[in-house]
Amino acid sequence: MSDEPKKGITRREMLKWTAAAGTGLVIGASGLAPVFNWMEQKGEARRTHENAESETVAFHGVHQAGIVTPQQTFVYLVAFDLSTDRRSEVIALLKNWTVLAEKFAKGRLEKNPGNQWLPPKDTGESLDLGPARLTVTFGFGPSFFINDGKDRYGLAAKKPKHLKDIPRMPREAIDASKSGGDVCVQVCADDKQVAFHAVRGLINEAVGKATVRWMQEGFLSVPDGKTPRNLFGFKDGTANRSLTSRSAQETHLWCGSDEPGWMRGGTYMAYRKIQMFLDVWDRSSIKDQEDTFGRKKESGAPYGKKHEHDPVDLQRMPADAHVRLARSTGQQMLRRGYSYTDGIDPKTGAINAGLLFISFQRNPDQQFIPMLRLLSDKDALNEYTKHIASAMFACPRGIKKGEYIAQALFEG
Amino acid sequence: MLKKSTLSAFMAMILAVSMLAACNGDKNSAGQTKQEKTEQKASSANDEIKKGASQMQAINKQLLDALEAKDTAKIKALGKSINDKWLSFENAVRDRFPLLYTKVEKYEQPIFAESTMAHPDLTGMRENARNLQQALDELKTAKATAQKASELLDKAVKNYKDYVLEQADHLVEATAKFTAAVKAGDIEKAKQLYPDARVYYERIEPIAESFGDLDPKIDARIDDVDDPAKWTGFHRLEKALWKDHSLKGQAKYADQLLSDVKDLKAKIQTLKLKPEAMVAGAMELLNEAAISKVTGEEERYSHIDLVDLSANVEGSQAVYQAVIPALNEHNKALLQELDTRFRKMEEKMLTYKSNGRYIDYTKLSKDQVRELSQALSELSKSMSQTAEILG
Repeated sequence: MSDEPKKGITRREMLKWTAAAGTGLVIGASGLAPVFNWMEQKGEARRTHENAESETVAFHGVHQAGIVTPQQTFVYLVAFDLSTDRRSEVIALLKNWTVLAEKFAKGRLEKNPGNQWLPPKDTGESLDLGPARLTVTFGFGPSFFINDGKDRYGLAAKKPKHLKDIPRMPREAIDASKSGGDVCVQVCADDKQVAFHAVRGLINEAVGKATVRWMQEGFLSVPDGKTPRNLFGFKDGTANRSLTSRSAQETHLWCGSDEPGWMRGGTYMAYRKIQMFLDVWDRSSIKDQEDTFGRKKESGAPYGKKHEHDPVDLQRMPADAHVRLARSTGQQMLRRGYSYTDGIDPKTGAINAGLLFISFQRNPDQQFIPMLRLLSDKDALNEYTKHIASAMFACPRGIKKGEYIAQALFEG
Repeated sequence: MLKKSTLSAFMAMILAVSMLAACNGDKNSAGQTKQEKTEQKASSANDEIKKGASQMQAINKQLLDALEAKDTAKIKALGKSINDKWLSFENAVRDRFPLLYTKVEKYEQPIFAESTMAHPDLTGMRENARNLQQALDELKTAKATAQKASELLDKAVKNYKDYVLEQADHLVEATAKFTAAVKAGDIEKAKQLYPDARVYYERIEPIAESFGDLDPKIDARIDDVDDPAKWTGFHRLEKALWKDHSLKGQAKYADQLLSDVKDLKAKIQTLKLKPEAMVAGAMELLNEAAISKVTGEEERYSHIDLVDLSANVEGSQAVYQAVIPALNEHNKALLQELDTRFRKMEEKMLTYKSNGRYIDYTKLSKDQVRELSQALSELSKSMSQTAEILG
């Protein structure tokens, strides 16, 4: 499993783990003793990089890293369009990307050539910064398989069952140039410079084979042992706790035998870039804000309850409250969103900011799209938000040692 | 116009006394038995080349006839056939006879390019077709000779230097015509002649960079100079022609420009060129294209940025052509890659021509600019690896 924590895990990471994963369920009982021992120690090992192991997320595993990995502080999402029509070149790119991604996850840089007249192989800005829990997660969009009705690489027969662009939704204002894409790379790390270095290396590697369609960066700070908050100041991802057990993940997250082999153990990534009108929100009363979500702002407790994780009572919330509508579908998914800011709106001078909604699920047709439709239609939040970009990617199962990403798709 | 920092680096490279030959050594000494095995393969490659050359000559002969008869339809069809034929065996030629490869390319490419035009330049085509016939004769009787890496590099530099000298000659001629039109006050004619002179300058710009103040005097843009009152060169006249619509008082700038390009030519003749400077120059050209041409900043009044961009790429391609024999020893895959990228770029650029001239930069859509920019980036990434020959 890709996310088995190494010994020497930091306190902060442990707390993130317990917050995101529920006590010990994912770690497994055997992994707990060293963790608790560690927690008795004093001081932070982070940012010294003396023990790079503790900052390293395993690259190989049954599932790709960066999905159930406790959320890092920064994300880069990069969507590529392939510019080659040759299958062999696509494979070459994926091979090279895999080698680079593993190197970056270990905090290593590319070795530079001895010939001083050649450009350096590595751009170098992450030197001495450590791995920063970097993960690289790959996904394939519908256009990777079939573009303009053409089976581009002879892979159409292996297209995952539920892979398609998210259908048009009411009220959305999708910018096509910032949506979709043949291949998506999600790079997460606790250090933004480390994450960017990896993104830059992967983009440089792609020159001649793929071009960047869009790129988006985001951030999220997770308080120790607590649910992180979005830019509206509300807790976001409270329900993730129900997805901490392996059995729950098998049920809701990882694809099974109904999918092509390369997708078994994989999952679908749904992405929506949601602009949030911060100025409007910041002038709304606390009551309006809480009615919009159906939860208390500070504690995160659902209406009529005391604590964040108390069971929700939908009847106590306003009919159009966000949480009520979402919960009424009875569906679960793993939320792994980030916030973004993007300067100001040149027309109004208002801050451009919002949420990069990212969710993982095994069947978006059932778990995601109906919920999105319901929320797009009725959610009280719509008054303060606008969906401006959209994408769906199929993330293959994890990479075994010696394999390249999605090898089973090409050779299975 | 390049940045000063790159300029001084370029100068340093030209002045550097480095003995490349010493570190290259003879890389093939260990491969004797392997060489024996490949001999058979080589002789069949030779047969393929000879056959290809003869067939190409036959088509070229037909083309010469069609040119005589001024049969445009036939000329266009034959131009394409020649290119198809060449593509079918050029890899074998590049592999075995890299120097002859560049010679054939030199005449074949303009023939093909002209044949795609609505109104091909028949005189130019005839000259190229005659030269091509001779080059193919040489190819038919060619024998492969092993050469030391250091000799290959020396030859590359010599070939490139010849190219630079040729361009400098053309630059002086074209600038003389352009400045004469300026001095005669003929705005329309000067506008017609301006791009012709720019091409020759943009092809060899990094060389001009190496002579200190000559490049700023010839090619500065208004924001490059400290004191706009002392601004001279091509862009000074470009502004007069396209923005001020008046040539009043421009005669002195015309005289100055002509004298500066003549000065440039004289300096080039005595230039000692080093392989490092040549390779770096090829990169500078592509960087230039990617930074100021594809963004439309260079020719802000005339908007002939595509002319400059294409000339930058051609200048870089001349270095590529010159280093083919050396690169052939180091990295054949890179050669193949560069061949494809330059070809792709040429094809792309052809689509921006109308009546034999590049369209105005302002007519490009956002997507087209991005596409060009990406093609340049691909080319530049591959080209940066040619420094392998210096290792």
